[in-house]
Amino acid sequence: MTIFHFFNCAILTFGPHAVYYSATPLSEYDTLGTSVKAALVYLGTALVKLVCLATFLKVSEGDIFDPYQELLKALIGFIDVAGLYFALTQLTHRNISQNHKFQAVGLGWAFADSVLHRLAPLWVGARGLEFTWDYILQGLEANANLVLSISLAALGSLMWLRKNKPKTLIPIIYLCAGIVATMPSITSYLRRGLGWHLPKVVCFELFTSLVMAFISWQLFSASQRPSA
Amino acid sequence: MGQKKARDREFIESMYSMIPLVFILVACVELCDAATVVDVYRLIQYDISGAQFGSRLATLNHHAASLHFPPGSDLSRTVLIIPVREFNFTFIKEYIERKQPLGGLLFLLPQMLSSYAKHQKERINTVLVELERLLIHANIPYPVYFAFEDDDIDAVLADIKRSDASGQPATATTGGFKLVVSAPEPKKVASPTVSNIQGWLPGQKADGEANQLPTIAIVASYDTFGAAPALSVGSDSNGSGVVALLEIARLFSILYSNTKTRGRYNLLFGLTSGGPYNYNGTHKWLRSFDQRLRESIDYAICLNSIGSGDNKLYIHVSKPPENAYIRQIFDGLSNVAEVLGLEVGLKHKKINISNPRVAWEHEQFSRLRVTAATLSKLSVAPELLDSAGGLYDNRHFVHETAIIRGVKLVAESIARHIYGQQGKNIEIFADDSSLAVNPSYIRSWLDLLSRTPRVAPFLSKNDPFIMALKKELADLTDEVNVQHEVLDGIFTFYESTKARLNIYQVASVTFDLLLLLVLGSYLIVLFSFLVITTRGLDDLISLFRRPPSRKVKTA
Repeated sequence: MTIFHFFNCAILTFGPHAVYYSATPLSEYDTLGTSVKAALVYLGTALVKLVCLATFLKVSEGDIFDPYQELLKALIGFIDVAGLYFALTQLTHRNISQNHKFQAVGLGWAFADSVLHRLAPLWVGARGLEFTWDYILQGLEANANLVLSISLAALGSLMWLRKNKPKTLIPIIYLCAGIVATMPSITSYLRRGLGWHLPKVVCFELFTSLVMAFISWQLFSASQRPSA
Repeated sequence: MGQKKARDREFIESMYSMIPLVFILVACVELCDAATVVDVYRLIQYDISGAQFGSRLATLNHHAASLHFPPGSDLSRTVLIIPVREFNFTFIKEYIERKQPLGGLLFLLPQMLSSYAKHQKERINTVLVELERLLIHANIPYPVYFAFEDDDIDAVLADIKRSDASGQPATATTGGFKLVVSAPEPKKVASPTVSNIQGWLPGQKADGEANQLPTIAIVASYDTFGAAPALSVGSDSNGSGVVALLEIARLFSILYSNTKTRGRYNLLFGLTSGGPYNYNGTHKWLRSFDQRLRESIDYAICLNSIGSGDNKLYIHVSKPPENAYIRQIFDGLSNVAEVLGLEVGLKHKKINISNPRVAWEHEQFSRLRVTAATLSKLSVAPELLDSAGGLYDNRHFVHETAIIRGVKLVAESIARHIYGQQGKNIEIFADDSSLAVNPSYIRSWLDLLSRTPRVAPFLSKNDPFIMALKKELADLTDEVNVQHEVLDGIFTFYESTKARLNIYQVASVTFDLLLLLVLGSYLIVLFSFLVITTRGLDDLISLFRRPPSRKVKTA
């Protein structure tokens, strides 16, 4: 029944992306091209990140949390933000509204991330005879990541694309974007610095992703009000 | 342009066909990420003139169960894990004798025997003797493995016991385990060889003496036979005999290295193989002798299982005790035994030439009319394949002091015979002299033998162990020969004595189905939620209406 388990985990990992695309107006406006381009940008960003990590980081022995190395890693993590900036501002696929653009970019971004980081381990691991909860948790992590990516894209579009946003909200937007962008470092700290187990970490990720999504949604609608 | 596009499309299509290929390649990569990997040792598989014995299968792929399985359950697709400590012999006996279907058996042997109390040790010992006798002489149509207990496997077993006790079917959460041994079908061992090693210490000839010197032979068979060939080290049967022979060779090599103390007897040391199989190697070895050499043998002493037991040893002979030569050997040994505080008994067993069974090594000599005796702690002749170094026969049950006594007994009596000191109370190999028995030499060889499984069909011609024995005898004696012979045809052995057992924790089908259900409903809820929040409830409902209604709406 291992193939069965593999399918289950794959559904959990990649299903929400497809559901998101088909359920929201993204499918009606045919924004697939934007998503694909965002995924390609993600690919490029991931390459640049890898090169940076390989250049600047020492090979860590074991699972020790080294604050200096982690700081460097977090800084390199901000390359993601640069990539997202590029995807949001420089890509002009079709005249789609900002509303749909950030969703499409976030979706493509998250999907590319899932494929790159989770497909291979899933294929190799979930088909083995041995049963572990790891792959189910990994699928849940992919869901949290989707929410976070879309939130980050939303905040990014607020920062870079929308000019007439209320001044009072600007610091909050930047703060939230900063938090969302450092999420990978935070989870890595929880996992290795505090020694949390995977289920706990995934619960935390799910929870924070929902909170951040709620906040970004509020910010987005708040900054939309004056223009409307 | 159009042509270019078509070419591009062709290229892309060819790429598409590559994708499944890549996937197939990835799928072929064998996965090995088990929770636990254990070394396991298979029950021996062999035929005696076509009749099949032992475990007839090697591959294993079944769920695990403990002895606490719910009564009345079908075990034909389960592997029973049985620790020898808490053994239910009647149950196993019933299962094997009635040939009830079973997926497989995994016996767990205690890891550290020395940590057990004496009575516990003895209990385990008797259990192992019974178990081994049962398994060796049965034809078992499923795989049977032995493994040593360790923390990993104990944890697995505790999990299995818990789920068995609760009577629930195994699931991912209550601990279902699958035991997998992937082994090829056991092949026959092409032509099992027996290798006999002989060392020769020539005696001193008086000047102008034309006649050949008489020879005394000291013989021990070194190979073993047991339920698990990879575990049958036979510390007592017949590791103790081999160690004693090497020590006797060492003592006489010191004596014979000096021309003044070199005796007027040749000494022949023989380490023979094929002992459990009616001393087939001894038979071949004696047949290869020159007629003159065979006639020159004054007597032969065979050493067999002298490393344990109390102060009683038996001298087994095939000629009646009244025979002058037998008398002479027995008197020689019993004189020395008196001094050592040993008790020596004489056991006479006639040879039946028509019976192919050769219970003692000296019987092979006797069949060729050479005077011979076997020194052993056993009082009665063992059955075929019995007492040949099984699971129970390990270092814990062998005592160096017993071997030292045996060495002194044999060496002293031979020395008295050689130097014509029969009946006199002198001690040639006295403690604290340069000719004292060396306990550390005995210990180191005993330790080596207790680590080396020595089932003859699985020992190659150039096995390191045979090379080591040869080198040791070469150091101690003047001339060493190794003789390789093919083991006689009625025995057939099968390979794969060792394997690796993967223990996987697996999820049940119901769990997977349930998971699919949960995931499906999650996705449906997510879909509905997203549609309602972004497009409104009406859109969601309209999705389930028929197309005409949608047309109306767009119009």
